[in-house]
Amino acid sequence: MSQGTLSVPTEPAEATPRNTALKRLARRNSTTAFLLTLPLILLILGLVIYPFAYAIYLSTLNRRMTRFIGWENFTFLLGRETFWNVVFQSVLFAVSAVLLKAFIGFVLAHVLHALPSKGQRKWRGMLLVPWVIPPAISTLAWWWLFDPSYSAFNWALMGIGVDPVPWLGQAGWARFSVILVNVWYGSPFFMIMYLAALKSVPDQLYEAAAIDGASGWQKLRHVTFPMMRNVISITVLFSLIVTFANFDIVRILTNGGPQDTTHVFATYAFQVGIQSGDIPLGASVSLFMFPLLAIFAIFTLRGVNKRSKEMS
Amino acid sequence: MEGKGIPRGVPRRTLLRASAAGAAAAALPLVNVHGQTSSGKLALGLWDHWVPAGNDGMRKLVTEWGQKNRVEIQLDFITSVGNKNLLTIAAESQARQGHDMLSFPTWEVHAQAEKLEPLDDIMGRLSQKYGALNPIVEYLGKVEGKWRAVPAISGSQNKPALGRIDLLKQHAGVDIQEMFPANANAGGKAADWNWDTFLRAAEACQKAGVPFGLPAGQFTDATDWIGSLFRSFGAELVNAKGDITAKSDGVRRVLEYSQKLFAFLPNDVFSWDDASNNRALISGKSALIFNPPSAWAVAKRDAPAVSEHLWTFPAPAGAQGRFTPYLPYFWGVWSFSRNKGAAKALVEFLSERDQAAAMVAASNGYDIPPFTSMTDFDTWEKEGPPTGVVYNYPVKPHHQAQQFIACYPAPPEIAVQMYNQGIQAKMIARVVQNKEPIDRTIAWAERELEGFKRG
Amino acid sequence: MGTVTATPFVPAEIKQGSLRRERRWALIGAYLALAVFVIFFMVPPFHMLMTSLKSSAEIADLSGNPWIVSRPTLQNYWELLTQGNYLIHFRNSVIVTVCTVIISMIISVMAAFALARMKFWGSATLATGVFLTYLVPETLLFIPMFQIIGSLGMYNNMWAMVLIFPTLTVPFCTWIMIGYFASIPKELDEAALIDGASHLQMLWKIFIPVALPGILAAMIFAFTVSWAAFIYPIAFLVSSDQMLLTVGIVSDLIRADTFQWGKIMAGALMAALPPLLVYAFLMDYYIAGLTAGATKG
Repeated sequence: MSQGTLSVPTEPAEATPRNTALKRLARRNSTTAFLLTLPLILLILGLVIYPFAYAIYLSTLNRRMTRFIGWENFTFLLGRETFWNVVFQSVLFAVSAVLLKAFIGFVLAHVLHALPSKGQRKWRGMLLVPWVIPPAISTLAWWWLFDPSYSAFNWALMGIGVDPVPWLGQAGWARFSVILVNVWYGSPFFMIMYLAALKSVPDQLYEAAAIDGASGWQKLRHVTFPMMRNVISITVLFSLIVTFANFDIVRILTNGGPQDTTHVFATYAFQVGIQSGDIPLGASVSLFMFPLLAIFAIFTLRGVNKRSKEMS
Repeated sequence: MEGKGIPRGVPRRTLLRASAAGAAAAALPLVNVHGQTSSGKLALGLWDHWVPAGNDGMRKLVTEWGQKNRVEIQLDFITSVGNKNLLTIAAESQARQGHDMLSFPTWEVHAQAEKLEPLDDIMGRLSQKYGALNPIVEYLGKVEGKWRAVPAISGSQNKPALGRIDLLKQHAGVDIQEMFPANANAGGKAADWNWDTFLRAAEACQKAGVPFGLPAGQFTDATDWIGSLFRSFGAELVNAKGDITAKSDGVRRVLEYSQKLFAFLPNDVFSWDDASNNRALISGKSALIFNPPSAWAVAKRDAPAVSEHLWTFPAPAGAQGRFTPYLPYFWGVWSFSRNKGAAKALVEFLSERDQAAAMVAASNGYDIPPFTSMTDFDTWEKEGPPTGVVYNYPVKPHHQAQQFIACYPAPPEIAVQMYNQGIQAKMIARVVQNKEPIDRTIAWAERELEGFKRG
Repeated sequence: MGTVTATPFVPAEIKQGSLRRERRWALIGAYLALAVFVIFFMVPPFHMLMTSLKSSAEIADLSGNPWIVSRPTLQNYWELLTQGNYLIHFRNSVIVTVCTVIISMIISVMAAFALARMKFWGSATLATGVFLTYLVPETLLFIPMFQIIGSLGMYNNMWAMVLIFPTLTVPFCTWIMIGYFASIPKELDEAALIDGASHLQMLWKIFIPVALPGILAAMIFAFTVSWAAFIYPIAFLVSSDQMLLTVGIVSDLIRADTFQWGKIMAGALMAALPPLLVYAFLMDYYIAGLTAGATKG
């Protein structure tokens, strides 16, 4: 039985220890265990939970931060058109970017895995490049590629007789561009995670499947996919959370424009909170997704946990 | 790209620790506001100038002052790129520590008023010496009758028209050097420089493949020129009392005008940022932008063939007058500063005419002092080529123009949201990009403004 | 998404006998897909490289080909390395990243060991909770963080980053390590316990050596994240001599509306070197480490 890693609270006790000595030892060692986790607990309490609680408190204050107004910031937001645009765009941005990253990562991991190991390194190295350039800077480079006057993309398009594209100037293109940059940056991460998982699938399983006459697709569906489900879930979950919180890409490329169509939670919160001097409202914007994502995360983790127990 | 920041040999942490430990000691009142004998340490966070020489000039002034007054200076230049200066202000306001004196952009004086030291005494003395100020800095810097910051010289900028002499003459038949020559007299056609002429010129230049580069996104370059456009049409969205007045003929007229104008602009101007218009001009793709002379200075370095044909001249006039976009910075002193006396003395020192002249010279004429009496420095006459390119950059009496900040005179706590969320540009975008009827756009704007009014 | 839809996913209905042909086609498809994605992934870096080799005049000149450099110059690199604070920022980034990696590893290895091998009250909740910390976005945390860092007197001090960055790295590292530790056979520690070893000895003598690939994987992750962090550094570091690379590039090489593109690109490419080297040398360990951690997770 595996030690459920990200296990849920309801998990039943571990299989009975084989002897009482071990049991006693285990109890005595719960102090050790507590001490070992103490730095982690302190870190999370001090630098995540406390500021988080403080941010929640902030979100209940008025604009000048002088008066408690309860839910008013949230009810105010729910009544704003602009805010609903932001919700829509954030969901569109995060979901489509994560799906594309997951898909591209999956394809690339497979393709790399199929290569003879000699050539793999070289290809792998090149495919990792987007992931190693600090994203705040690589986004600047993309921005330069999209620039209205200097766009090297448009230069190339003109070369083949296509009209220049307003990469960041029209809602549709701008949405496409911010997603494109996020996919470009994030796909290699999925690729490595999947590649690692693929390498851990025992070859015997494929051999057995081949003997049973399975096609490539069937192998993928019945061998590879079930073996990778946990990695996929965790990677997608992690990436979804991080993509929902993304700030740099939209901030640098469009600053939310044109007409707020590319604003995501983080950039809108920044505009409302820091630029327009309403920190409580900005905090409320940032907090908005928390409950939804938390529910999603807990269910995903619970599923992962259940499967990892079944598997071992 | 020279070294900057803390003077070597004084580790930052020691400074901080010393000041934390010496909090009680530092509470000693620093008397002598006039500052000839004050001492101690002073941490400054000043606007990171676009001209490297601008920083050098500032450092020289500050260091000399520090030596003369035996004040140890720690000088950081804080960039406005990525709104780093806003983040810094928010950080120091929350942490209640950091610098003693900071550069505050446009709206931040109002936002931080409670944590800023009143500077009425300095402003009183300066106004006595140098006369009238423009009303915009008073609107932005004076909160409930008290000056909370002094309008800064370094960083304050106008955004008049910056155009190509050759292209405008050739394609649009507009001779900008004749209209606004490098002397104190307006040319014969200056009075005709209005938004209608502008529209015709925009059309001609667009047909010639060098469209005007007028951004309409949510960055300040866009907000500033659009603010002046609205004002000169008498299109006021919120009045000084805070009432929404968007449903007016002025607003309708300016939106109708925008429909016509934007047909002649590149189709992606709605996403342009503060650098896109510069690039359009420098690359030779555009005949006119609204900008401080930075675009010209970069062109001088990277594209001299373009820069020789550039000329700065006032914004077009509308039915209500001529309004030059203006973006002032302020120098403020935190109320939690441990060396207020020295900080105030330095602010006053920097605001004097001699220092103003030095800063204007160091910044190639970029900085605009708040006092009308300081718009006569010879830097603006001499810069070139072409000589006199920035002569008309400060607002001169014969321009018959006023400096203007978008969203004035709405109450600043509403105006800051209108300004930073670019509501006027968005109204234009709705009418132009979405082809939305004007009345629906106004109704939309009213709903947005209703939201901004929330206390 | 022209590039994305071009997925050469391999033939479905091919009969048994043609296994070799199937393989060959799969391989051709694989190289085709690789080529498409390598182009997609490498276009911006290639453009960066070209731009970094140009003078500002050539960058501003629209008549030239933006993808090719006609008069290559190393001036941008040279100026970055000899003038200004790029090297200071680089050094700061190295210091902060190395410290962050060390601290993250200590915290997460200890915690992961306890969570994977020693049951105690709340351990399951803690394991889930650690992952959930990612749900709280940096953009929300930095305002309260101003006060925390301020009260510690660490505002505008790069060591504050060493304090904050572990919140970005530790949860994922802990997760990788829990997975890895869980994959180590239980017989090993039972044997050790019966031999009278304490848990700490067990961690030090057995788990850490056995789990080295996992630790490396976590280290590389922590390295990448703290090397690239942007929001906290830009919010907390003001003095140029305290800045990290990412902020330094943005705040020193962009002046209001003037971008020194050549230097920005040169700076970015040099900033990408350390992670690239780390990946080049440790990639196999990384994958091996993730392999165990990931599947058990």
